[in-house]
Amino acid sequence: MRYISASLQDVLDSRRRRPAYKIYAWDPGTVTISQIASATSNLNSSIPMPMDITPYASEISWSDKQLSFTMVDPRNLFHPDTGAYRNYLGDGAILRLVEGDEVLAETDWVTSFTGQIHGQVGWKKARNTGNITAKVSVFGRGETQAYKRRKITTREYTVGTDLGIALYDICETFMGLTQAEVRIPFTLGRQFKHKVNQLSQVSPWEGISSLLEVVCYLPYFDGEGKLTYVNKSLQRPMAKVLADYVRCVELEVPENSQDGINKVKVVFLDAALSRVDGPYQKLGDAQVTTGFFSMHERLECWWSEDHKQRADGTSMQVIKSVNSGLLPVGDESYEQKDEFHGEIEVAISVWVPILATVMAMAYVAAALIPDNTDSTSTQTMPVVLTGPEGTQGGFNLMAIGIGVGVETAEVVGEIHLNPGAVQSAEVVGFTIPWGRVIQAAAMLGIMLIMMSIGSAQYEVWGTPYDYAYLEKMSIAMEDGLDYWRENEKEIKNDFVGTHDQADTIAVTELVWEKSQVRTRRIVIEDDPSLEVGDIIGIPDGRKILINGLSKKIKRGEVPSLVIDGCKVLTP
Amino acid sequence: MSIRKIIDWAIQDQRSEMKGNIASPFYQYQDAVGSWVWACDVDLGGGEENSVLRSVPVASNNRDVVYAEQGKGVTLSRMGSGKWAITGLSKTLNSTVHMIFVSFVDDIFQIISSRMVGDIIRPLSYGELGTLVAPYGYGVLPYGMQGKFDPDGNLIEIVES
Repeated sequence: MRYISASLQDVLDSRRRRPAYKIYAWDPGTVTISQIASATSNLNSSIPMPMDITPYASEISWSDKQLSFTMVDPRNLFHPDTGAYRNYLGDGAILRLVEGDEVLAETDWVTSFTGQIHGQVGWKKARNTGNITAKVSVFGRGETQAYKRRKITTREYTVGTDLGIALYDICETFMGLTQAEVRIPFTLGRQFKHKVNQLSQVSPWEGISSLLEVVCYLPYFDGEGKLTYVNKSLQRPMAKVLADYVRCVELEVPENSQDGINKVKVVFLDAALSRVDGPYQKLGDAQVTTGFFSMHERLECWWSEDHKQRADGTSMQVIKSVNSGLLPVGDESYEQKDEFHGEIEVAISVWVPILATVMAMAYVAAALIPDNTDSTSTQTMPVVLTGPEGTQGGFNLMAIGIGVGVETAEVVGEIHLNPGAVQSAEVVGFTIPWGRVIQAAAMLGIMLIMMSIGSAQYEVWGTPYDYAYLEKMSIAMEDGLDYWRENEKEIKNDFVGTHDQADTIAVTELVWEKSQVRTRRIVIEDDPSLEVGDIIGIPDGRKILINGLSKKIKRGEVPSLVIDGCKVLTP
Repeated sequence: MSIRKIIDWAIQDQRSEMKGNIASPFYQYQDAVGSWVWACDVDLGGGEENSVLRSVPVASNNRDVVYAEQGKGVTLSRMGSGKWAITGLSKTLNSTVHMIFVSFVDDIFQIISSRMVGDIIRPLSYGELGTLVAPYGYGVLPYGMQGKFDPDGNLIEIVES
């Protein structure tokens, strides 16, 4: 319900009215509609003085969405091309309608319309009659197409943030509204339920509509050009009650030949992520080749390639053990590190590399052991000296000169042979070097350890799970409705977080829709205090919700206000 | 009926994507051109009496989907022929539906009744596995076996895996 001053209310109640109105226009080049709507009055010093075009306007037709009138402009002041004041009716020109009573000061009047001209006004000069007329249509702020077409992406909001904060952000950032232009409560009492929340690829109007939908509100711009709301819950007090039919000019039940909505489905994402378990299954496998050269092997085993799969109750199954060789060389263990992966650890026993090292060292050391035989010769190779026939043991000994110019010379010496000590049979027998035996033993040890090198295979089994948002639904439908008569309306809103909230929206919306098909039209004496969304009571007790208002304004005449509405259903 | 409503319905009818839950094990069947394709039944949810879409093929580039288990959420896309195909896994899952029945008599409305519908598929707990073994009728159930439950927690059936 629009606020009106007490003095204006007194005049309305007295029914002794001398209706007055004014149409103000502003040049959009000097001021914005936001400044006009934010200003406390039309003649405020913070905004340029408006042009009063009331004297030029006739046949004024007003509705909550549109103001149209005919300009009588004999001096061509508002001609779109040449008029001196053409900017006041140009594209984007800001117009306001203020209504009151002649007996009251203008400060007590109410602003019943604020809007802008879209495009250009029609202008016609007829030679046969000499009339110069211009048709002017001014549209309310809610008809601004930029609010409804442009796609936006808001900043992100964390869990617990009130929806009203996002709404005000959209209004200020994407609709150019100041806080003074928004009459919606800053806190709506509903919070974002999800971790990160953004509105993306929606128009600003869709954005604020979906935010207000959670509290069953419908956005609209009021007569002062300020953003406000209609509460869809019809269980609220009446704005006005008509005590009798004195002021009522007409009461009509218009024909309505459409199928009404009888089923409302509200779809929302549950705020809490729910765990969804899968069947017990193999989550991953691992294999490793290990042995003496590796003390520890740690094998990470993830449940999915992208490391995102969660699992619980995991355990390892050994397909092929590291101990499946000749020697048990180590231990195998498994531990789940977190919900995404586990770790298999293969620990090789300490003695394995030690043994391998010792064996290798023994093998090398054994290579240095000299070969021993049973011969008494101290030479490693027995020497058999055989003199030429007939020498009888005599030999020529020659000294070989070393160096340049040194000649080989004959030397004189004796060689004593002891044929009894040198036996030909002793130097041609088998020899078994001790070093080779020791080397063979060392090699056997090394090979045994090497033969224990093997590839082990493991599998990890468990119960995979994931967290998913549950898409829940609340359906309000007419009781006893046959399947084939359902006429459904679906509301999808992820800002709804619980079944309780969704239930409220579904029932409220169903009652709203059922009311909307029970259309009513009332014509009463003009009452500037009534607004769209108000509920009025008529004398027989019925309640009417106002969906639209319209009237034709003439000088010196109390207009008839046409109320298009619907019957309110009560619990 | 406003033009806007009609347009909204038309847009909804032309939507090319929806979500559902896998409602059967995957199986193969021959499509119209004789090729073997993987398919399964998909529960579209929504509280309807019969909301299961039968023999929904898996899009050929999504073989991994066939390893998904019953109850998992999948995304369906409308193919050029108008048929639906499973094109991937979904991060959301159709869940319970709260139905509220409202009567309208003259100018008075009244909430008559309400009930929850929708199935929940989850693994059977140790306790449930214990109570379902022979001689109670289901035989020995391995750990990890899943069951379909109503919103009140009553077991409806054991789900094939």
